[in-house]
Amino acid sequence: MKLWGSGLVNGLRISMRNMRRGPITLQYPFEKLELPERARWTVVPLSDAQGVPVCTACGTCVKTCPDHVLALDVTTNEDRSKHINHFSYQLGACMMCGLCVEACPFSAIAMSHDYELARVDPDTLEYDLITDTPAYKPKREKPATPDAPAQPASASEGDAS
Amino acid sequence: MNPILVACLRVLAGLGLMLLNGVVLIYMLRKVLGHLHVRLGPMNVGWHGTVQTVADVLKLLTKEDPTPRAVDKALYFLAPAVVFIPSLAAYAALPFSKTWAMADLATGLLFTFGIMSLVPLGILMAGWSSANKWSLLGGMRAVGQQIAYEVPLLLSALPVVLMVGSLNLNDIVAAQDKLWFFIPQFPALLLFVVASLVELNQTPFDMSEAESELVAGFSSEYASMKFGLLFLSEFSNLFIMAGLTVTLFFGGWSLPFIPAQIQAGFAPIVFVAKTYLVIFFFMWIRGTFPRVRVDQLQQLGWKVLLPANLAWLLVTGVAVKLVEAVAR
Repeated sequence: MKLWGSGLVNGLRISMRNMRRGPITLQYPFEKLELPERARWTVVPLSDAQGVPVCTACGTCVKTCPDHVLALDVTTNEDRSKHINHFSYQLGACMMCGLCVEACPFSAIAMSHDYELARVDPDTLEYDLITDTPAYKPKREKPATPDAPAQPASASEGDAS
Repeated sequence: MNPILVACLRVLAGLGLMLLNGVVLIYMLRKVLGHLHVRLGPMNVGWHGTVQTVADVLKLLTKEDPTPRAVDKALYFLAPAVVFIPSLAAYAALPFSKTWAMADLATGLLFTFGIMSLVPLGILMAGWSSANKWSLLGGMRAVGQQIAYEVPLLLSALPVVLMVGSLNLNDIVAAQDKLWFFIPQFPALLLFVVASLVELNQTPFDMSEAESELVAGFSSEYASMKFGLLFLSEFSNLFIMAGLTVTLFFGGWSLPFIPAQIQAGFAPIVFVAKTYLVIFFFMWIRGTFPRVRVDQLQQLGWKVLLPANLAWLLVTGVAVKLVEAVAR
């Protein structure tokens, strides 16, 4: 049988243990936690070494996005090269799922660590990631002989045998 | 010197002590509660938030003081004073050292309890006159618990009085130069602490404020310095109850094993330090336990504390008589 009132003493003991453990508070605006490497916040466009956005305007991310927050406004030139007028992003509706980044075949966008997203003006919740820029031309590796079968086909054959 | 002037100066000293105590205790409460909850407490105003309460007092002083239309004006304006004045007057009998007391009363203990029991009247006035159902509930609860627990509080101090044979607080301290009373009177100490927690509206028994149910209880319609007075008297009562605990059970301003001549120099410091330790204990309780229900409180008071107090009083009385008989 437990002694009457031992629960009270135990409660006091626990709160004193907490007191001696020291505070775990982080004083946010003054001290900031370093985010984990794979933290997902706003979507940002990536650029190559020359500072040119590497987006090819393929539109995969736009199709993938479950919230429809990404939109591409593209014009195709005479020589079939693309020109990105607006690659727009609705920050206010984005849920930072990161599916667009996973889907992007050229690693042209990434999830940044920019988490201080409060806005004074609601209009700034929608903005362009890329504006008025020619789409990037990916360097395609042409097969050595045009008639040779493509790589995936041979792999599937290997699996079947 | 003119005795009236001396009396005025003593009252002023008491007032200064009370105000300073309020500021220090509010800071202490916020820090202690914060750290008990693994938080930091105030941090930004001054070094580790030390000037925070000064800023709060300035805010209270300069704040707008609206009066709700439906209040009973006379009672509403009188209530903070009725709460504040007894808790200032209760400093009169506290012995900070052999000579440092506002008044050396032969019935010091009785005076302190008597004047403190005026506080519920002011609280009821505040709750009643606010014309607010939550305030009224808070006031009624405060009165219910404080008047009910006056009995256990007095009864738990009586064994000490029996041992000393005097109501003078200085005599009670002097009687403890060999042995602090918390050793022979440990049950009385426990009962006294519980009863004084109720008297103080401290957290396990803070139904009269009950933030989560009654907003701020009886003080919710008050603003500015009227609220400040209610708040201040609460903290001053905390100091007085802790000071009484120290005086009755922990040897007051005296320290063991140190010659009286050396002690006399820093007796007030010793008293205040001990009092603050007891206050820390009260805050520790406040940061730990959840609130009890009103019916549980009354049950504890009438069914547990009162019989326990009477039984311990009987034991002490018999023991005192036996010791006297043996000594003779």
